[in-house]
Amino acid sequence: MRLAEAARSPKARRVWLGLASVVALVAAYTLLSNAYRVIDPSLLPDPIRGVLRPQILPPTQRIFDAFVQLVGAGASPVGGAYVHTGDHIGGLVEQRVTLQGSLLVSTYRVLIGVSVGAPLGILAGLLMGWSRAVDEYVHPIYILCRSIPPLALITYVMLWLGHGTAHVLLPIIYAVFATIVIPTYHGVRDVSDVYVKAARALGARGRLLLSKVVLPAAGPFVLAGLRYALIIAWMTTVGVEMLMADEGIGFLLIGGGMWSSRLEVAGDPAVIVVGIVALALIGYAMDAGVRVAGDRLTQWVKR
Amino acid sequence: MSGPVRRRLWRALLSLGALAVLYGIASQIGSALLPRRIWMVAHYIDDVELLPPYASLIEETVFLIQSGILPRSILVSTGRVLQGLALGAAVGVPLGLSMARAARLECLLDPWVTFFRFTPALALLPLYALWFGLGELSKILLIATAVAVVTLLGAYQGVRDVPRVYLEAALSLGASKGLILRKIVWPAALPQIFASLRIALGLAWVTVVVAELIKATMPSLGYLLALAGAYPRVPTIAVAIATIGLLVLACDTVALGCYAVATRWMKRSPAHA
Repeated sequence: MRLAEAARSPKARRVWLGLASVVALVAAYTLLSNAYRVIDPSLLPDPIRGVLRPQILPPTQRIFDAFVQLVGAGASPVGGAYVHTGDHIGGLVEQRVTLQGSLLVSTYRVLIGVSVGAPLGILAGLLMGWSRAVDEYVHPIYILCRSIPPLALITYVMLWLGHGTAHVLLPIIYAVFATIVIPTYHGVRDVSDVYVKAARALGARGRLLLSKVVLPAAGPFVLAGLRYALIIAWMTTVGVEMLMADEGIGFLLIGGGMWSSRLEVAGDPAVIVVGIVALALIGYAMDAGVRVAGDRLTQWVKR
Repeated sequence: MSGPVRRRLWRALLSLGALAVLYGIASQIGSALLPRRIWMVAHYIDDVELLPPYASLIEETVFLIQSGILPRSILVSTGRVLQGLALGAAVGVPLGLSMARAARLECLLDPWVTFFRFTPALALLPLYALWFGLGELSKILLIATAVAVVTLLGAYQGVRDVPRVYLEAALSLGASKGLILRKIVWPAALPQIFASLRIALGLAWVTVVVAELIKATMPSLGYLLALAGAYPRVPTIAVAIATIGLLVLACDTVALGCYAVATRWMKRSPAHA
């Protein structure tokens, strides 16, 4: 803690403490996960003996190895048709599933989901927030729709669209749509009330009111909704890929298999940890992107 | 009943009724026009009703209820959601509150909270299955993780948004730390905590549908859905989806009700009405 105390400003202190906490936990984990080399696990009492195994707590260096292997999997000489191996990472390497390739496929899916679902959701939220009649007719249907978890739809969607690429995208689009309606709706309906009254009193109506008052006022809410929708889109994408898809980061986490038996294959924790860390990083990066872009778009908002 | 409320209700009934009638018509047309033979993954499947008419939906519902599959599935899945919710909130809310109150703790936990915030909870499923086995524990812990992250952020933001004036006023009047927490921080943060609980409830249902596929055992809605999809039996899928949707709706309504009761005191200020 001396380092943190030496730092003067609260911001530097924050960074130092955060960094210290990450380093400390990673170091502690490395020690713990390597303990099986020093202590014979069979001498330990039962719950600890079960946990202190590399199959359960992969040593940090093995996680790094898995990372290197997965990044380089595309260049593996084997490649080609699927050969069944019980080994999670072996199977992935044989199928030439790389970390960056899987991330690319999933990012692509998320982006399609957002770029189709978000405009639809914003439009629906705008209409519902703008017109009371639309709100009263459509809102009950929307509530009914929103209550259905997107992932529950996947089996049904597959019957319509077949086991291809489109049926994976539909739940993601739907999830983004359902998520972004409500922030837009509240942004348009609630917040702009004072502004709308003022603008109306000054004679603005129709398109002028919408483009100069309502949309800018709802902007920050829509952006907040978009950030949340991104998180939901990643969640749905991973879920869909774990259940159905043959590529993408969710597939990498699971390692293959069909239907419900997919989730019964014992995974390699090192691969899973690599996948999770990659997901967290890319999720953070996308959120930061939207945040920065959003701050620029809504510069007029007092902060 | 006042005029606007009645009109609202009437319009809601009208649009939902129209939707129901439209579906009825679509399913009648569909049963004649839509293909009943479908190529799925590796083979053809016969007798698929892509839009099952009401008759087969009702028949299926009656069967699923009479055989006890649906009621038991509802009980099991709802039980898991509620256990996960309770566990997650019990961890998330106190952690969020204390993070907002203690600067050093906040700095220490911040990177990890950010990490879990951007990790889709479902990605943890294979890891949890490995660590906690294929049984009940990993399912509940997965839901709890999703819930804990959301409620932590909600509680944290709730405390952060408490006006500084309140705290300073209480301090200058000599209130103790415990009193401030009980009388100012907690009630002021409650709306945000409830809002996050509502979001968490939705996430919990999303999570459970997938979590119930690990070592799936029959009385559970997630597995009912997957099994119906594997055959595939569309009426069963439809009933399962509708059941999950109605349960989510019911949970949400209950959460909203709790929220209204817990924040009744706020009604005095029109700004929050």
